[in-house]
Amino acid sequence: MFTRVISIPHQLQQVRTSALRRREAIWGFLFLTPWIIGFFGFQLLPILMTIFLSFTDYTGTKEFAPGNFNFVGLDNYARLFSDLYAVPAMGVTLKFALIGIPLGLVVPLYFAVLVNSRYLIASNFFRTLFFMPTVIPIVAGTIIFGGVLNAQSGWINLSLKAIGIEDPPRWFSDPFWAVPALNLLGVWSSGNAMLILLAALQGVPTELYEAATVDGANAITKFFNITVPMISPVIFYNVTLGVIGAFQYFVPAMLIGGLNGDPQRSLLFFPLHFYREAFSFSEMGYASVLALLIFVVTMIATGFLFFFVQRLVYYAGAD
Amino acid sequence: MRKLFVLPLLIAVMALLVVGCAAPAPTVPPTQPPAPTTAKPAATQPPAPAATQPPAPTATQPPAPTATKPAPPTPTIPPTVVTSTEGCAPGSTKIVWYIGLGTGSQPDQIPVEKAWAEKFNKSQTEACVVLTVVYNTGTNSYDALKAMIAAGNAPDIVGPVGKMGRASFQGAWADIAPLAKEAGFDLTKYDPALLEFTKDEGVLVGIPFALFPSMIYYNKALFDEAKLPYPPQKVGEKYQGKDWNLETFTELARKLTVDKNGNDATNPKFDPKNIKQFGFFEQWTDARGIAVFFGGGLPYDPKDPKTAVIPEHWKQSWKWYYGGIWKHYFMPNADYQNSDLLAKGNPGSSGNVAMWWCHTWYTCCFDLSKTKWDIAVLPTINGKVTAKLHGDTFAIMKASKNQKVAFKVLAKMVTDTGLMEFYGGMPADPKDRPAFFAALDKKVAPNKINWSVAEEMLKYPDLPNHEAWLPNMIKANDLFTAFRNKMDQTPNLNMDEEIEKLRKDLDAVFKAAP
Repeated sequence: MFTRVISIPHQLQQVRTSALRRREAIWGFLFLTPWIIGFFGFQLLPILMTIFLSFTDYTGTKEFAPGNFNFVGLDNYARLFSDLYAVPAMGVTLKFALIGIPLGLVVPLYFAVLVNSRYLIASNFFRTLFFMPTVIPIVAGTIIFGGVLNAQSGWINLSLKAIGIEDPPRWFSDPFWAVPALNLLGVWSSGNAMLILLAALQGVPTELYEAATVDGANAITKFFNITVPMISPVIFYNVTLGVIGAFQYFVPAMLIGGLNGDPQRSLLFFPLHFYREAFSFSEMGYASVLALLIFVVTMIATGFLFFFVQRLVYYAGAD
Repeated sequence: MRKLFVLPLLIAVMALLVVGCAAPAPTVPPTQPPAPTTAKPAATQPPAPAATQPPAPTATQPPAPTATKPAPPTPTIPPTVVTSTEGCAPGSTKIVWYIGLGTGSQPDQIPVEKAWAEKFNKSQTEACVVLTVVYNTGTNSYDALKAMIAAGNAPDIVGPVGKMGRASFQGAWADIAPLAKEAGFDLTKYDPALLEFTKDEGVLVGIPFALFPSMIYYNKALFDEAKLPYPPQKVGEKYQGKDWNLETFTELARKLTVDKNGNDATNPKFDPKNIKQFGFFEQWTDARGIAVFFGGGLPYDPKDPKTAVIPEHWKQSWKWYYGGIWKHYFMPNADYQNSDLLAKGNPGSSGNVAMWWCHTWYTCCFDLSKTKWDIAVLPTINGKVTAKLHGDTFAIMKASKNQKVAFKVLAKMVTDTGLMEFYGGMPADPKDRPAFFAALDKKVAPNKINWSVAEEMLKYPDLPNHEAWLPNMIKANDLFTAFRNKMDQTPNLNMDEEIEKLRKDLDAVFKAAP
């Protein structure tokens, strides 16, 4: 009897709790519905369609309807091995990444340290100035750089000639220089990364520097033994975004090199190759394979970063 | 410590400021013509299909023509315009007219097109024309049309559109001939050669509408400065007592090429690294367009279209062109083409090129009244004159569910002189031309242009046409565009090897054609 008296309220409590939770869950799902619809409609469905299309010979010049395409099995995947441009295009993307990711880390960090310096007068002014290129639309920025790096009338080459370099680089006409020229554009607009690193620098406890100063550490020692480890999570974040961004690099390359990836396909980045196949040549099936490939490669690269490189990151709160 | 920071900081700031203040280059540098600001188009050659006509690093692209003044390309793309069925007769059949593969999508053209559709809709009860206008950047309007087709919403009529634009949708066009026959439309009034010109893969996909012959434009001021007589305006005329042939033309172009010290390109002291004025330029065309300077042709064996064969005179033409850039320096390389000196990819408009070869639609793209200019005939090469020809029309999509009604609309379009004048193409019918040129005369005043040159050049079209059908056309054109860009960008090429490589690449593309 006693036991029964106790057990009834407990069951009631369980019932009430689960009803409340159900109601909460329903409301939660209701609030999430717009995102879920968006996710299914604009992300999951296109991904599934891409996988589906990769097994067909669908072209963009016909209505997407049964009868207008055939299933071709793994033919589109097999074509990867005979595609003359796939490997070079991936090479262009990797070359850009190998130059751009270190630059995209070192230069913003350099700027961040500069504008974080207590010796700098009007630091806010300089912070704004360095950040300004970031707010310029990428198309406009690329237009500007197209002019700045013109081999005949660009101010960079005019300056190089003025200091005695008779044959300065033909930036966007020479296959050797085209990718580094785009890397320069990336550096110019690295204000965003600078801002994030600046925030990280300002979050490093000053006591650490004071203690190091008492111990006789110089500025370089403090930078490499305190600053870098303390901001390493942010550096890791920037590197990860840089890797993903490098594999998706498209707009400036297309604006400068056109859909041919000129000069001599040296700007034929992998996403540009994908775009050409899909929208220039209307090979939607094969283009889907390329899209999936770059997705997989990006995932692997990101996974590599998280698996190996993240071990080098110091999380102060994780001890 | 303070110095350590201040010096690099100053350098960085200076770099940012200078970059920020630098004059912008065209986004679509060389091949893409400047996006025109005003319209009353004179051109209709579309910025071609994506792969073949990308914004690329050499001025090979036909323009998105239609302006009277060139302007730097703008990153701002005007929004798509879709009109409603308001004002249409009840029960009329909706006909969607898609504009964007050629001229017609400039913001100031759209009101005229809207007015035409409204007037037409009120004039009859069978069709209701609605417009979909997508601004033509050379890519996005092509993508939009593909999306419409894929979604099952293909428009009924597309145009104005040229051969290259149609090639992006190979096989998507309806055969006009049976529709014309059923509607009782007389096709025999058109020159058979023009009808042939309007066929794709043997199928008549449109009715001859607007023609754009090519000729030599020349800058009179630069001739006057060099104290050289103007080039001939009639085929057969001599120039300084010499035949107007390739040798004479080349010599003239070299004399009109000047370096910063005032030496012309025939002078041994000429400095090719500091050229201030060029003698000649082949404006906004691809490698096939360059090739036909020496005569029309096909890059395949007519008996076996899947085998690439480069005509000998095309090889000669490319070698002459390449030598003109890198050996004799009278034509600009890609760096010069995109420089401030040559108006960032629109050399003809810069005032620093003495002669340039282009179509009548180029009246879209330079200052017609302020520039002192006229036109001249092309030189005789290998015993003949060749003036490449462009032509635009309207086409009906195979996916249209209302082809018969669409044809009735199309028939009205191609015979409407107002529309023809608006789009700026030279009328196919000679009797309509005086009015056309009279309208142009008003635009070019105070210049007085000898338009008989344009009419005469119509007699020497490139046959086969440089935009003629090719197996796997989009990919083949992509190779031709890349080939021209390579010639423009790269010194010290072995042209025989390059041409052979092109042939092999074309052969592979042709053989892969469906």
